[in-house]
Amino acid sequence: MAKLRVVHYINQFFAQIGGEEKADYPAEIRVGEVVGPGMALTQNFGEEAEIVATIVCGDSYFNENLEKAKADILAMVKEQNPDVFVAGPAFNAGRYGVACGTIAAAVQEELGIPAVTGMYVENPGADMFKSQVYIVSTKNSAAGMRDAVKKLAPLAVKIGKGEPIGASAEEGYIPNGVRVNFFEKERGSQRAVKMLLKKLADKPYETEYPMPDFDKVDPNPAVKDLAHAKIALVTSGGIVPKGNPDHIESSSASHYGEYDITGVMDLTEETYETAHGGYDPVYANEDSDRVLPVDVLRDMEKEGIIGELHHLFYTTTGNGTAVASSKAFAAEFSQKLKADGVDAVILTST
Amino acid sequence: MNGYMIITNNPMVRDKLGETHNVVYQEISYEDILKDVRDRIHEGHTLLSHPLSGSVKPNETPYKSIMVSEKKGAVDAQGLAIIENAIQACGKFVFRSDKYKPEVYGDFQLIDLTLIESGITSADTQMWSEH
Amino acid sequence: MRLEMGHIYIKDIQFASESKIEDGILYVSEEAVKAVALEDEKIKSVSLDIAKPGESVRITPVKDVIEPRVKVEGRGGIFPGVIAKVDTVGEGKTYALKGMAVVTAGKIVGFQEGIIDMTGPGADYTPFSKTLNLVMVCEPVDGIKQHDYEAAVRFAGFRVATYIGELARELTPDETKVYETCTIKEGMEKYPDLPRVAYVQMLQSQGLLHDTYVYGVDAKKIVPTILSPTEVMDGAIVSGNCVSACDKNPTYVHLNNPVVHDLFEQHGKTLNFVCHIITNENVYLADKMRSSDWTAKLCKMLDLDGVIVSQEGFGNPDTDLIMNCKKIEAEGVKTVIITDEYAGRDGKSQSLADADPAADAVVTGGNANQVIILPKLDKVIGTLDYVTKIAGASEETLREDGSLEVELQVLTGATNETGFNKLSAR
Repeated sequence: MAKLRVVHYINQFFAQIGGEEKADYPAEIRVGEVVGPGMALTQNFGEEAEIVATIVCGDSYFNENLEKAKADILAMVKEQNPDVFVAGPAFNAGRYGVACGTIAAAVQEELGIPAVTGMYVENPGADMFKSQVYIVSTKNSAAGMRDAVKKLAPLAVKIGKGEPIGASAEEGYIPNGVRVNFFEKERGSQRAVKMLLKKLADKPYETEYPMPDFDKVDPNPAVKDLAHAKIALVTSGGIVPKGNPDHIESSSASHYGEYDITGVMDLTEETYETAHGGYDPVYANEDSDRVLPVDVLRDMEKEGIIGELHHLFYTTTGNGTAVASSKAFAAEFSQKLKADGVDAVILTST
Repeated sequence: MNGYMIITNNPMVRDKLGETHNVVYQEISYEDILKDVRDRIHEGHTLLSHPLSGSVKPNETPYKSIMVSEKKGAVDAQGLAIIENAIQACGKFVFRSDKYKPEVYGDFQLIDLTLIESGITSADTQMWSEH
Repeated sequence: MRLEMGHIYIKDIQFASESKIEDGILYVSEEAVKAVALEDEKIKSVSLDIAKPGESVRITPVKDVIEPRVKVEGRGGIFPGVIAKVDTVGEGKTYALKGMAVVTAGKIVGFQEGIIDMTGPGADYTPFSKTLNLVMVCEPVDGIKQHDYEAAVRFAGFRVATYIGELARELTPDETKVYETCTIKEGMEKYPDLPRVAYVQMLQSQGLLHDTYVYGVDAKKIVPTILSPTEVMDGAIVSGNCVSACDKNPTYVHLNNPVVHDLFEQHGKTLNFVCHIITNENVYLADKMRSSDWTAKLCKMLDLDGVIVSQEGFGNPDTDLIMNCKKIEAEGVKTVIITDEYAGRDGKSQSLADADPAADAVVTGGNANQVIILPKLDKVIGTLDYVTKIAGASEETLREDGSLEVELQVLTGATNETGFNKLSAR
């Protein structure tokens, strides 16, 4: 059988062009060349596969010219028509990891060519792309190259041949949220006893089923003096000024909005609406106070129950928005709220 | 009557328990029974029996009976979490409730009846504050 | 308590005019076994068959799998409170027939299930493809209620297993293993430096075909209690459930509970195996709270350092599992839990119906929704009529070439949650 055709993607550092100072190196393809880590991959491919071309691109160039770099590289890959695309491994290099994940996912998605990459589990690229492409779990530095290609090469061959892929523990990829059965060497009860002994001895052990991520936030202590407190409103219910001036997406929001409600006593059908696409908007559009209770807080302000209502509110749509994005939004506007001397926030959701 | 009511789409539960118990029978799907119970929990009823009772999975059996308190009070947070998880679980199983031979449905009804009866047996010896 | 287990290896099963065990071969008189099964007037007829590993045979719908045993010394008899009179078991001497099982089959409800394939891909998943199986298919008298039929088949299996076990009474075991636990005080004195560990076993207890019995008591009606780990080896716990057969414990699993055996392996070496705690998985939520409160309380009172918690079933028991784990951890006792998963056919769904950060050490028996194609086999013991209605199957299950497209759910013991198998998932 003919060897599988592999196109390999690496950055300027692994192509030995240079470090950070050469990170703006534009994408280029070297047909018929095996460069840097490609040597080790080739050794591990044996008779199964061969690298037919190597694409080199600087990390800054890729990330700063994302669309162009992506389009250029996709065209180069398409031209070579490989059986499988391999990016990296990127180890703990953040921008390289993101580039590997981005381009591997794009090759797979847009060209229909199977792709695989490798990086350290804490590389930001891992979290971003582990559910889209197989990412082999590597050590956190290039010292782990031998170990990395030992897993990367056979996985690339398997994916290239379209063979069934085993569980993450067998193949060495970062768990991607898809549960795959396989046979362990020991029965479950023995594994349980061993795990318990490790847990009792405070030694590291690996659970076979990590619980879904929990992000429990302990509530702050109650506001003592509400009558003098500055209260702000924040919502994931998508309330925006009529016309949605900042184009907050109806789902999977990429940003949040900050709007001034100085002098606004009531949100009306004419002035506010919701951008949220995940619930029936009729009642929120009719009266946005139902989601963002400006009217009631103005009353409370007047009655002296609260000190004042902060003149800015923050809003986004919670509909399908990534937890990471939500966290980033909040981290940013929380600083603004703090700087503005806000004592407490009412966070409404839908 | 007994401090609890049974939300069900199982005609056998209606026929066997309807006269002695507060049975709310509706001709709706398994999943809609769960959603009906969720709405009642939001209204302040307490969840008394586990919505995923039995080993026949959602979408495999069409029948489900669940006990909630007759009285309303503060929202039962634990019950709400359980029912939400149960509703989510429905999506995991391939729908085939309508693919059985007719004689099988009586057996599904019977199993659901015995499951809820085991809950009733527990409830009737524990007349404390939850219901 | 000290129990000596004598293992007698069975190499073959053959029908013969007289029942006996000779040179590792079990000879079975069909007539005598049938007479034992038919002692119950609710059973109209029983047919016997032998299925051997590697044969092109499919057994279905399986109700229970039982390893024959006989009590040769010490208090009580096998299956106390069910077959033998009530007496505390778990000490003295017991013989077990290894390498074989009595398998009961019979259609109790129309969506009945439980498949044991003796060869092919299915055989990799069910542990009972590796045993020589004496299969009894029980037909009930006409007009019988499902409850009565279930009980009749359950008891018939235990009677026949006991009858077979008795054949070994005068034999010399091929191998003997001694299992011994200490009293609380002895254990503390003998192993002052070893962590104190117990096994918390959750028992299926929800209703018809979802029940378990402890010394003959319906497990729904127990409060959590303590057993000596050797008691199960004499049949203190028996199965009355088989719906969604992949993660239900047949009586065979109770008799050979792998957590009990693997903790004994380490007893006195790396840990002190203090006791076996049993609890239930009732439908009524207040029962769950009480039972989990009690297991945690028992763990605390016994000054345990760690426990292994095993589950039985899906959905409802997920809540018990998490409650037990959370409350036991809150008492400062470390836990490892054993479960299986329902992650959907694509493996992408949330595996359990409940979750908690305290459950940070989990062993899994695999994803029960995984689809498997079972090829047509030459012989069916029981009937395929019901295969299309079992959990994890449907009318579309039977494919044109005679193969079955099913989920692992239907295979008896495939994703067992006591850690009986090597199957796992990541």
